[in-house]
Amino acid sequence: MSTPVNLEVDLGAGLILRNPVLTASGTFGYGLEFEPFVDLRRLGGIVVKGISPRPRAGNPPPRLVETPSGMLNAIGLQNVGVERFIDDKLPPLRERDATVVVNVFGQGTEDYVAVAEALDGKPGVAALELNLSCPNVAHGGFLIGKSPKAVAEVTAAVRRVSRLPLWVKLTPNVSEIVDIAAAAADAGADALSLVNTYVGMVVDVERRRPVLANLTGGLSGPAIRPMAVAAVYQVARAVKIPLIGMGGIVCVRDIVEFLLVGASAVQVGTASFNEPGIAARLVDELAAWCRDHGVDDVRELVGAIEIPR
Amino acid sequence: MPENITAQVEEQQALGGDYHLLRIAGPTIAAAARAGQFVMLGLGDPGEMLIRRPFSIARVIESAEGPVAFEILYKVVGRGTLAFSRLRPGAAMSVLGPLGRGFWLPAPEAPCRPILVAGGIGIAPFPLFVQQLGPAARHAEVIYGGRSAVDLPLAQWFEPRCGTLTLATEDGTEGLRGRITAPLEQALDRADEQEGSCVFACGPHPMLAAVARLCLERQIPCQLALEETMACGFGVCLGCVVPRRHPTDAFDRFARVCTEGPVFDAREIVL
Ligand SMILES: Cc1cc2nc3c(=O)[nH]c(=O)nc-3n(C[C@H](O)[C@H](O)[C@H](O)COP(=O)(O)OP(=O)(O)OC[C@H]3O[C@@H](n4cnc5c(N)ncnc54)[C@H](O)[C@@H]3O)c2cc1C
Ligand SMILES: Cc1cc2nc3c(=O)[nH]c(=O)nc-3n(C[C@H](O)[C@H](O)[C@H](O)COP(=O)(O)O)c2cc1C
Ligand code: FES
Repeated sequence: MSTPVNLEVDLGAGLILRNPVLTASGTFGYGLEFEPFVDLRRLGGIVVKGISPRPRAGNPPPRLVETPSGMLNAIGLQNVGVERFIDDKLPPLRERDATVVVNVFGQGTEDYVAVAEALDGKPGVAALELNLSCPNVAHGGFLIGKSPKAVAEVTAAVRRVSRLPLWVKLTPNVSEIVDIAAAAADAGADALSLVNTYVGMVVDVERRRPVLANLTGGLSGPAIRPMAVAAVYQVARAVKIPLIGMGGIVCVRDIVEFLLVGASAVQVGTASFNEPGIAARLVDELAAWCRDHGVDDVRELVGAIEIPR
Repeated sequence: MPENITAQVEEQQALGGDYHLLRIAGPTIAAAARAGQFVMLGLGDPGEMLIRRPFSIARVIESAEGPVAFEILYKVVGRGTLAFSRLRPGAAMSVLGPLGRGFWLPAPEAPCRPILVAGGIGIAPFPLFVQQLGPAARHAEVIYGGRSAVDLPLAQWFEPRCGTLTLATEDGTEGLRGRITAPLEQALDRADEQEGSCVFACGPHPMLAAVARLCLERQIPCQLALEETMACGFGVCLGCVVPRRHPTDAFDRFARVCTEGPVFDAREIVL
């Protein structure tokens, strides 16, 4: 007889998730598009596409190209804007009892504050995730995310206007991610998400031109996983707040890897394009993995990596 | 609603050049498919192929009990299509479909003479189109161009099924020498005097732009099946966009080819 494995995880600020498997922003639409393939309630949470104060058009095409074990995207945060999100997307998500985390994007502090204010008190939002890390827009998030001072400023400003659990999503395109992480934690973040995509470029050598209209894009998928795992490992040793790890997860061992280096939860991104139901499948496989390995509570795995002396 | 399944390869046929016809079991997809719609095809293991590839549904296979399978016509151009060309009957593929908005056929009360224009692998959606046109296909005109004779793999199939078939190759090895725009222009000018025509086109971007221009100038209805690089195929990655001619707000400036297309009215988009 075995007792069921506990999959619940605590992400701080009173937020308990059913399980540690969420879907990553920009790879799961507004969640509703996935209903034909997955019961949204089975997921630890859904992080929706980045929302800005006003609708955004995004970058011209081509916006995508596949790379070895990865893909490069330069979507440029095309989104419906916060008003339409609240009116059209949030009510059906709430009906479905999904745990919804809103990824927030802006050009400057005022934009992040504006979205946070608009969402304040709106039922159905479990947490905010500040995207201080999108590499595909000329201004805003990405530049903010490279400076500890700017990260602290935006985080603190949103903290002042929002009672929601506050996550800050970090870019790995910096020399010291630990410094950025510490700045966000000190400024009042409840948890940190990492990593966003790595800047990359692909050239069409026949035409001698960049493949993407934006010239560069963000690299995601298994190609980035070892770098993402290393980033989570470093940050986990430096800050005390919970971490949400991501980058190239395609199977249950990848999830366990992120948990062992110190993530309390994970997000599945690019893999959902190939298999829309993958995140829910991985929830079941994580429970099975724990059972097979004599782990009663998934929280036992968090930070349980053993470093040989 | 699209179906996401693991399906079996039933048949793989090499058509010469780099062209192949792949038959995949899938009764639900076959029954629901409209010409111009597509499927996302993958190998299942993301280690082997991280994002699936889009392919038009070329033909539906019926048994006595109804639709049982569908076919895709594809050209080997890279890693994914090379891997597909090595699949043998019994192999498993991951399939999502049918996806997108297909061609809308002329309504019975407003008939028009269909002119199908294909460039190279752009022929792929048209066998199903002809199947779905039914008896009206006998009035249809097909204008089919490619680089060379080997690039017209389905020419024989259309010959007995359509009113007229005009072939064109850039090197003159089959049919007229040159691009399809010259025979299309002639057909459109002929159509001006007769009953109204409507154009359905699929092919490389510059060809579609030329077809759209010829039709818009003459105010002839024109539907275009577009290609853009796709990661998801069902509207969530926002990777596959085309500029809209009359956007209503910023979010609307680009249309998603996978869900709002791949077939567009030439008046809707900017090529
Ligand atoms: C809606 C839709 C329907 C399609 N229908 C068909 C079809 O019926 N038959 C068919 O053979 N092809 C079709 N295509 C194109 C097909 O998807 C690509 O040829 C395929 O994805 C290439 O994969 P690959 O791994 O072999 O090539 P890759 O290694 O990914 O790329 C090789 C070369 O192909 C080009 N390429 C890659 N993706 C595309 C693309 N989406 N469109 C055009 N060129 C591309 C690249 O620029 C590159 O030069 C369709 C595309 C779309 C969007
Ligand atoms: C097409 C695409 C769009 C994305 N859009 C966003 C976004 O709007 N906001 C954000 O914070 N991250 C965005 N990301 C980054 C992912 O959320 C994630 O951090 C990254 O892809 C790494 O995870 P993965 O390798 O599992 O995909 C996007 C990624 C992709 C591939
Ligand atoms: S392919 Fe993802 S939105 Fe069209």
